[in-house]
Amino acid sequence: MKQLLPVLLALAAGLASAANLKPIDESGYSRLVASSRGKVLVVNFWATWCAPCRKEMPDLVALVGKYRAKGLEFVTVAIDEERDRKAVAEFLDRTKAPPPTFIKNFKSDEKFISQVDPRWSGGLPFTVVYDRAGRKAHVFPGEVNLKQLEAVLKKLL
Amino acid sequence: MTAIAAFATALFLLGAPGKVESIKATDLDGKPVEVQTSGKVTAVIFISTQCPISNDYNERMKALYNEFSPRGVQFVFLNANSTESSADAAAHARKNGFPFHVLKDANNVEADRFGAEFTPHVFVIGENSEVIYRGAIDDSRPADKVTKTYLKDVLGAALAGKPLPVTETKAFGCTIKRVKKST
Repeated sequence: MKQLLPVLLALAAGLASAANLKPIDESGYSRLVASSRGKVLVVNFWATWCAPCRKEMPDLVALVGKYRAKGLEFVTVAIDEERDRKAVAEFLDRTKAPPPTFIKNFKSDEKFISQVDPRWSGGLPFTVVYDRAGRKAHVFPGEVNLKQLEAVLKKLL
Repeated sequence: MTAIAAFATALFLLGAPGKVESIKATDLDGKPVEVQTSGKVTAVIFISTQCPISNDYNERMKALYNEFSPRGVQFVFLNANSTESSADAAAHARKNGFPFHVLKDANNVEADRFGAEFTPHVFVIGENSEVIYRGAIDDSRPADKVTKTYLKDVLGAALAGKPLPVTETKAFGCTIKRVKKST
């Protein structure tokens, strides 16, 4: 039983994070941005199949963790298929990405991409920073320049 | 300049060129290849050996090639990823039984010229050498959920001399791994 305990705990943690991983669609994203007004919101679009996304996630998590107490909200949106939910949850667990965490459930990928930013081609990773008024303040196409992100956060917070 | 303005400027500079008279690349043995576009409908597709999205389209790309190549469409499959060698691309083509040749876009010269950003990213060049379509192959990574066959429809319309059903689309994909250039 002692040997089984860590396995069971890990399994339970995985199930918990898988349950926390919520589907998000176009209107859900609009609601998310609207409901975050009053906070600075950082949204990171990533995928388990995207190597640069996986590489930058631990650094992003560490950086945003420094500013959460000052009113920063960090949200991840996985651009994975529903069939990959388990792999998404496991990665988020491993990197200690805080909730809320989402997985795509868009009616149209193309429309969603344009909704987030008309200039976004759909390449990942992609990170958007919204100010406390819910206005788009900065976008990072490709891997985030952490120094630049930190400077943006300091200014907005 | 704000970061958003800088992003917009960068994208503008990377934007697809209006006219592409020829495409220069190397075959997977390193020999230079130049493809002329005048008088033909040409489909340029940036692909990857490692990107799961690109690989999910392998069978669809083969089907498009088999359907449209005999009808006169010229296909140019380019690998612009600095992280994937010509040997990688050759092994990948063999493994997947590609009926077409893959060319290497060393230093992502053509990717920069076209403004290609991810794989698979498609550009269709009309008979007058103008870029007439840029975007996705279709609207769904899972093949069984495709509802819009963008590339197929554009090629069909271009061959028939009909108005294009779409000229630009977007899709999620793996970013092209460009060479790091000193500034």
